[in-house]
Amino acid sequence: MSHKRKIASVLALLVGIAVSAAVAGENNAPPQQKIPKGAKVFVAPIANGYDSYLKDAFAKKKVPVEIVATRDQADYEITGTSESQKASTAKKVIMGNWHSREEASVTVSNIKSSEVVWAYSVHEEASTHGQRSSAEACAKHLKEAIENQQ
Amino acid sequence: MHSGKRSVFLALTLILCLTITFSPPAARSLTPQENNSTQNHAKEDPSQPAVADQAKEPVSNLKSSRTDEGQLATINNAKIPSYSKVFVAPISDGFENYVIAGLRNKKVPLTVVMDRSKADYEISGVSDSEKAGWAKMLFIGSENSNEQASIKILDLRTGAVIFGYSVHKTNSVRGKQSAGEACAKHIKTIVLE
Repeated sequence: MSHKRKIASVLALLVGIAVSAAVAGENNAPPQQKIPKGAKVFVAPIANGYDSYLKDAFAKKKVPVEIVATRDQADYEITGTSESQKASTAKKVIMGNWHSREEASVTVSNIKSSEVVWAYSVHEEASTHGQRSSAEACAKHLKEAIENQQ
Repeated sequence: MHSGKRSVFLALTLILCLTITFSPPAARSLTPQENNSTQNHAKEDPSQPAVADQAKEPVSNLKSSRTDEGQLATINNAKIPSYSKVFVAPISDGFENYVIAGLRNKKVPLTVVMDRSKADYEISGVSDSEKAGWAKMLFIGSENSNEQASIKILDLRTGAVIFGYSVHKTNSVRGKQSAGEACAKHIKTIVLE
């Protein structure tokens, strides 16, 4: 009888190890990186009011997401950074270039899981329409990402 | 009774095999050969100080690799399991966003999280950007910026720095984006796929 009990306890231990190994395997599984169409997105404030340009670009490029005003209502959050440098006198005189230099990088993260699901960075050495151009580049690539994964 | 002992022995062997099979790859990052390659320098080179002397001196375990873009350093050939959760700490001028975008662009198999408490590893660093001045435009005819950045990866469980990389780009065509992608490309080299 004690012998059967021993075997039963060993089997229980084996099952426990197998379950814990499966859980450990799940932790490193590839994430489900998908932004569904119509997802509620909150655009966090970005330097130089770049978030406003992003919202405008989303509307212009018809990105299939819903922009919400507060973070609590959202499923996803867009954070990022941007930098704009107007053409200096030297650039205008020596290079003959009046356009600004734009740099931006945005990240879309799932608020629940806090996983980053999409990220993009843009650099324009001579941006014709300044921050608007870089924001539209971000919007265009986000739209592609959403539509291509469906 | 004899067969009972044998079954218990078989079960224990099975447990041992399962434990070895499912143990996380990070725990197996050091193969015996790798250990030897990094730790037997003192034995091979008689001019090196003894082990006791090395403990007194702040000697780094960093190993530099030959690369044109920057300096790469891994400690004891440590590797990161694929799809590990990584937190990118804020870096000056928002450079962390460029690193995250670079990780995605270079298809590095890591999961970036925004919450440090959910992460296994942390990427932190510094970055600096220098815009082209009038002299550079006049004499060199270049309006590209100079970029430099340095990052390190910290294992949050052990607190050990397992990877370091620094990049310097003169006349960076894509500015911080180029530097962020260079960091991501080199991070990919230590991720187990």
